[in-house]
Amino acid sequence: MKQREGYLIVDHSASPGLPEDIARQAGYDPKHCGEGKTFEAATLTCAHCKIVSVKNPLRTRERVKCAKCAGRYICDLCAIDAQSPTYLHLPFEKLADITLDLAEKGVVLGSPQELLSSKIIT
Amino acid sequence: MARRIFQAASYTPTATADASALANATYQSIAAGSATQVFRVKEIQCGGQATASAVNIMMFARNLTAATTPTALAAPNGDGPMSGATAALAAPPVTYTAAATGPQRTNTALTARLNLSFNAFGGIVKWFANLGEEWEIIGTSVSVAPSSLSAFTGGNVGLMGSHIIYEPL
Repeated sequence: MKQREGYLIVDHSASPGLPEDIARQAGYDPKHCGEGKTFEAATLTCAHCKIVSVKNPLRTRERVKCAKCAGRYICDLCAIDAQSPTYLHLPFEKLADITLDLAEKGVVLGSPQELLSSKIIT
Repeated sequence: MARRIFQAASYTPTATADASALANATYQSIAAGSATQVFRVKEIQCGGQATASAVNIMMFARNLTAATTPTALAAPNGDGPMSGATAALAAPPVTYTAAATGPQRTNTALTARLNLSFNAFGGIVKWFANLGEEWEIIGTSVSVAPSSLSAFTGGNVGLMGSHIIYEPL
């Protein structure tokens, strides 16, 4: 496992495994997801949106790295976005800072806190 | 801060489309306890418990809509620190498997989700994040914060157990 890569293991060594279409849909190699097989792969996390993807070792196209994020990997969708002339660079850490900054000022984005904090006991 | 494990011992997920409320006891959901709390999800593991072949298209994804009134966890499910010396948090994380209205999985292409498909008849799927590349949950804003592990449409879901290891910062 290289630096900045995650690790995924799908162990079907004692299982009938996955059909080919489901394995492909999940981004796995179908040959290693059938009965008695184990699939291991590196995963990449996008620095902008935090999408995690299974790394395709056969890919020849360039994987985009963001120079403004110290050369960290960004996913294809964010890479397309980043090419727009109106693109505003927004790594996830910056989004976190904005969210926390607003929260400290009492501005909570998204769902009201009351929806999350009012637990009921059953 | 110390790492914690949120685990659901045994449940059968229901294949649910994106942007639809998840039914109780078919998912694991995790949200920050305050608007300024930050978590890092380090590991997710699903282990099959089905007695016949059953494909589970499990997804760990951001919530498009937060749950209303999450129900407190009850045994055998649980959420606790990995170290017995861990001090109690001022704002405990909101981890739950049931709510008055369940959370909805994101349906947008630019919102993170992790596909963890496996066969619940003896299959195991496990994802580990590298240091600094973890799944982050920040505050309580939907689409950047609350996340859930649930079954996507398709497959013939079977019994499974799962755990999520995370670290509040």
